[in-house]
Amino acid sequence: MINNPIVFYIASFLIIVFGLFSMFLKNIIYSLLCAIIVFFSTSILFYILGSEYNAIIQAVIYGFAVPVIIGLSIMFTTGKNNNSKKGFTLHYITLLAGAIFVLALVYVIMISLAMMPDSFHITELAQFNSYEVMSAFARGIFIDYVWAFELLSLLLTVVIAGFTLLSIKSKTGNRKL
Amino acid sequence: MFSTSITIYHYLFIGLILFLIGTIGSIIAKNVIKVLIAIEFMLTGINVNLITFASYCSSGNFDGYVFALFYVGIGAVELAVALYIFYLMYRKKESDNIESYSEL
Repeated sequence: MINNPIVFYIASFLIIVFGLFSMFLKNIIYSLLCAIIVFFSTSILFYILGSEYNAIIQAVIYGFAVPVIIGLSIMFTTGKNNNSKKGFTLHYITLLAGAIFVLALVYVIMISLAMMPDSFHITELAQFNSYEVMSAFARGIFIDYVWAFELLSLLLTVVIAGFTLLSIKSKTGNRKL
Repeated sequence: MFSTSITIYHYLFIGLILFLIGTIGSIIAKNVIKVLIAIEFMLTGINVNLITFASYCSSGNFDGYVFALFYVGIGAVELAVALYIFYLMYRKKESDNIESYSEL
């Protein structure tokens, strides 16, 4: 665990700046690269918070696996006909709606901070050792929330089986879409 | 300029900003893949909140870490399914503009 404010501020700066770049860059490849930086910076935040296991999972899945899937999708789907026509009126309406949403959210946060009881002012990060965290993970996955873990495993199995079935159908040509 | 002690509100603010970037990006993005990346940003912001509350507000209770782990799995599955549906529809529509996908 690193309890250093400089690391936190650097990671936060990377998250905010590259998150905005990822959303507002025109090139989808650059957008994906910025998203990778955001996901790695988030894993640094998880490491600072004392959850090394979540940091590794975040870096491996969101930093490597998800960008590979998205990159393959970009390779398969771009280059033919990108008719990205801009509707300026709709663009400005959505920006205005987003700004109103942000203001409403800030108002809700301010109201909830005003209504927060005094006993909720928590400012100290709890100190855990790695063995304690890993044993808690094992207890949570295999004892406390084993039904959720099995449900997630079933979901992953269904997704893999569905992909295989759709691929076989699309090869034989009797897929309807 | 900067505070020397990092509190729970700093992490919650970063989670909020990440969630807002994802929300606004999913609203204004024209590319389907960019919308999916924005949804992943929203999931990551929620994960930041879960792990922050687990680290600050619980003494020896790590349920937030476990739920964040499940959330990563669900997010990966959701992204894979959404990208496959997009790929199948792209073969028919020949466009990655989200306005072309108004009907299934």
